[in-house]
This record gives sequence, structure tokens and C-alpha cells, in this order.
Amino acid sequence: MKRGKGMKFVGDSRVTADKQKFIPKDYSEYPGRTEPFWPNFLLKEWLVGAVFLVGFLCLTVAHPAPLEKIADPTDTAYLPLPDWYFLFLYQLLKYKFASGSFFVLGAIVIPGLAFGALFLAPFLDKGKERRPHKRPIATSLMLLSFIAVFWLTYEAASHVNWEEKAANNKPEWPSEVEIDTSHPGYAAYENSCLQCHGGELEGGPAAPTLIGVEYTAEEIMDIAVNGINSMPADQFQGTEEELQQLAEFIVTVNEEN
Amino acid sequence: MLQKMYDWIDERVDITPLWRDIADHEVPEHVNPAHHFSAFVYCFGGLTFFVTVIQILSGMFLTMYYVPDIENAWRSVYYLQTQVQAGQIVRGMHHWGASVVIVMLFLHTLRVFFQGAYKKPRELNWMVGVLIFFVMLALGLTGYLLPWDNKAYFATVVTLQIAEQVPFIGEMAKTLLNGDPSIVGAQTLARFFAIHVFFLPAALFVLMAVHFIMIRKQGISGPL
Amino acid sequence: MSEKKQQVSRRQFLNYTLTGVGGFMAASMLAPMVRFAIDPVLKASTSGEMQPVVDVSEITTDPQRFEWTVKQVDAWYTSDVTHSAWVYKNEKDEIIPLSPICKHLGCTVNWAGNESYPDQFFCPCHDGRYFKDGKNVPDTPPNAPLDLYEFEVKDGTLYLGKPVPREGV
Repeated sequence: MKRGKGMKFVGDSRVTADKQKFIPKDYSEYPGRTEPFWPNFLLKEWLVGAVFLVGFLCLTVAHPAPLEKIADPTDTAYLPLPDWYFLFLYQLLKYKFASGSFFVLGAIVIPGLAFGALFLAPFLDKGKERRPHKRPIATSLMLLSFIAVFWLTYEAASHVNWEEKAANNKPEWPSEVEIDTSHPGYAAYENSCLQCHGGELEGGPAAPTLIGVEYTAEEIMDIAVNGINSMPADQFQGTEEELQQLAEFIVTVNEEN
Repeated sequence: MLQKMYDWIDERVDITPLWRDIADHEVPEHVNPAHHFSAFVYCFGGLTFFVTVIQILSGMFLTMYYVPDIENAWRSVYYLQTQVQAGQIVRGMHHWGASVVIVMLFLHTLRVFFQGAYKKPRELNWMVGVLIFFVMLALGLTGYLLPWDNKAYFATVVTLQIAEQVPFIGEMAKTLLNGDPSIVGAQTLARFFAIHVFFLPAALFVLMAVHFIMIRKQGISGPL
Repeated sequence: MSEKKQQVSRRQFLNYTLTGVGGFMAASMLAPMVRFAIDPVLKASTSGEMQPVVDVSEITTDPQRFEWTVKQVDAWYTSDVTHSAWVYKNEKDEIIPLSPICKHLGCTVNWAGNESYPDQFFCPCHDGRYFKDGKNVPDTPPNAPLDLYEFEVKDGTLYLGKPVPREGV
């Protein structure tokens, strides 16, 4: 066998021309020419790659990778969503025929059948014909599943308020604030605020965290009595002195930060 | 000098045929977008490979800062993204690359499917390709737990519950992935890290090698 | 002949363009990653602030070991780290704060740590010795004097900064 530069192959395959046993179709039966892989073909391939890379880098610069709050298993308000390429499965499991007692059907049987069929496609579609319109069953099944996946993904995504979700989950350094429970204002906090704002001022489903707020003591007293945004008025129950202590307590916690 | 070094090695291990074989094989015109613009559909496979290379490189660099530990994982990601120069870009490449690679794989699969390019003699290569698709999805799944943010945690809890529903082996599979029968925590993160960084990439390399060797053995399928 | 020459130059041209495009792709892909990796080298080292250590009145002519704690921020990990110094006043009433880190291999030295050398610093690891002023005793393993801390005295308190290496003997 001739080695080195003069090696001859069948088409672009790795089968040498003088090998007789297994010869795939030669491209000579198709019109047109062939060209060497290096450098002619690779140059065109890499030009596409370079254009793609520029676009990709622009994307990474324009859209920083999202990062949410540090995982908090107690965060009951969080709506868990998978990455977009699993959204169709997520949506499928919402339907009656795929949940409850049919959960196994929705979570395992349907995806299993679909992916199994994809895996075994060459054995399910054994005809010689390659053109899509000459093998209508395979083509229509693929189109159907493509549309189904696309539609499920769209359905799942359209019900989510992405902006609000991102705004509620901004990354912030987990607080290591020590709450001084002996502070006179803490008792007032415990009575009036703790239920919504949490034992460590960390906030909750209905109320924001009180760590990192920049209000003065007077403003805090006003908010405690009159409410703000979604916080209703008259949340504070207690004397004027307790109100003062409460405001001082919240201010101190934030000053220590 | 370089020529002499090359000759010295070539004389001993005969490397010329190795790269000659790759460099000189003839590529048919019908896959070349410069001839027919519609041939751009043949680029998706190559682009998938290209993004995979980006993923491997950016992933390697990310592990210089990342630690797989529930106390520090999120902090280290936050640190590398906000405090380290270019950290936002490198993490962005890995994050968006994970999505782009799925898109490219999907388009490549559709191209091969609608052209019927998986037919004899290329059945095996199609199956290897579908396995690569599964490995990529698994890489995405294990990858998004790693930053240990809310999304990571809750999405993983859901995934593990689905795994638990598999008949007969479900519970075992869940514990195996989770590292603990009930707690999604320190052991889960360590496991997902190992799977994401060592096991799945190893499988991916083997499958990709087989994929490419088979392409060269069998050649690109002819035009329709 | 001329046609053949043409062929070769075309192939060469393609080769150069190919290498160029490949180089562009590799460079733009690797540039952010390399910048990311070498960031610690390029980060300006933050000079540590002066930390209050001890009241000046406690310092005697005999070296005493004083410890102080600083909050150390190591990227995403914050911890309290204890540093120590051997501090004394010399004949001219100047304060000498010496680093306890042996210049040989980084063990911790002790004043009068060996009974045979009551007025020298002694390193137990390889029997390194230093005179009282921190100069290394010739023919012992260390080849440089102990580092001297940056220091200042404010309101009767000694503040120490970073240890500064000194020239060897």
C-alpha cells in the first residue's frame, strides 16, 4: 500500500482506494468537485466558526450569566424551574394524564418512548429512501414531536414572570449579622414584625429583608405605623416608647453591617 | 530546525500518514456552504464540536476558583463573577455555551434526521450521536446544580424526585445520585461535581472519538 | 510550469489565511480565560493596615512575644488570623519588632529557645540561631536576618504593619 502523501481514499472516507472489502459510495457519481480538507475546506469551516465565535462572545459580554440567591431550602416562595431545554418535560408533568397516578407515564414512559424511538430511528425507518417526503411516517412523527416540544416549552415559559422572578432572586452576600436579642427594641420587633420579616430580619415570602435598608429611625417609625408599598398600615402594636426602641433596633442592626 | 525535529520524529514513528490522512482527504462539494448556501446545515456538527471545545476550556478555567462545597460554592461563584477580571465573561461562556451546544446538537440531529443520513451503513453512528445528546443533557443537568443558588437547589430536588419515580430501581437511583436517602446537600453537590467534571466528560470524549472515527470510515453521506 | 507555481502559492495563501483565522479564534477564545486565570498575579497587593498590638509601656529590653489578631479576607473566605512578633527596646530606647518566622524554612523562632544560647533567637527545626538584633548567626542554616515589622507608635500604643525582609550578612 502506498503511504504518506500519495495515499488515495474513496471519497472523503478513511478507506484507502486499493482496499476492496468495504467501499462506501464514491462521490464521483454526484456532480461537482471535491476539495482537500486542509486547507481549502477547513478554511471555510473556520470562517463560519470565527463569525459564530464573535457573535457568541458578544452574547456573553451583553448578558452576564445569571446567578440567584444562595440556596435556601426554607424559601417556600421560590418557583423551581429547570433550564429551558427541560422545560417541555416540566410542562408535560403538569397535565392530568401525566401526573398524579399517571406520573410514571408522564415522567418515564412518554419521554422514554420518544427518546427510545429517536435512538433506534435507523431500525424503525429501514427503507432505502432518504428524501423526507418519500418517508412520510418518519418525517411527520419528527415534525409532530418537534412541534409538541416547542409548544410545551412555550407554554411553560409564557406562564412565568421572568422579570419578577429575577428581581426577587438577586444574588446578595449571605448575611452574617448577629441579631442582638437583648436589645430593648427586639421585644417590640418580636411582637409586631417577626412574623413577616423573619427571626433574623431576613425577610420572607410576604416581606423583604430588613438588613441593608437605609431608612432613618423616623422613617422606620413612620413605615411601621403607616405601612409602605404592599405593607399595610397599623402593623405595629405597642406604645410610643416601644416604637422608638424598635426603630433604633433596626437602625443598629444595619449600622453593624 | 523545526523541519529537522519533525524529520527526526517521523523517521522513528512515521507520523506523516497520520496527519496526511486527515489533511488530504477530499471533502465533497455538497457540504460546502461556499458552493451552495443551503449547505450551511452541514456546519451544525462542526459548531457543536467547537462549542464543546469552548465548554471544556472554560470549565477547566472555572475550576481554578470554584469549590464544590455547600458553604462556599455560591460564594466562590459570586466572587469569581464579581471580583475576578474577565470572570463574568468566562462564566458567561460556560453558561451560555451550555445552551448553545444544546441548540447546535438539536439542529445537527434534525439535519441528519431529515436527510435520512442515519440509514445504512451509518446506523451505529446515529446511535452514538444520540448517546452524545443524552450525555450533553446530563452535563447540563448536573452543571446547573453547581453554583448552589436557589435555582440549582430546587431544580435538583425536582429532578431527584423524578428519578425516584422510576419503577423498581427508582429509590436506589435517587440515593445513588443524591449521596443520601433524603438530604439534598453536601454529598449531592460533591457527587454532581464529580459526575459533571470527570465521569460525563470521559464518556463524552469516548463517544466523540467513536463518532469522528466512524465519520472518517464511512464518509459524509451523499447529497439528496 | 507557471501554472504549477500558481498552484503552490494559492495553497500557501490558503494555509496562511487558515492559520490566521485559527489564531484569531484561539486568541479570542483564550484571552478572557487566561486573563481570568492570571488575575491573582495582576491584582495590586493590598498593603495591610497597621494593627494595634501592645501598650508601649509593656515593652522591655528583653524580647517578649506579642500576638494580635487580624481579619483576613481570602477571596470568599473570611477568617481571623493570629500574627505574632518578638518586641524589645534596644540600648538607644528604639523599639525593635522582629518577625518570628525563621528565614531558613519558615519555622517559628523563640527567644532563648535553647539553654546553650540564652541570649539568642533559636529555631528548633534545624538549630538556626539569630542574635538579639535579628542578625543570623554565621554558620547556622539561615542566611538572612529576621524580618523587621513596619511599626509606628500612636497614643502610647505600638502599631505593626507588614514584615520587611532585610539584607543578609
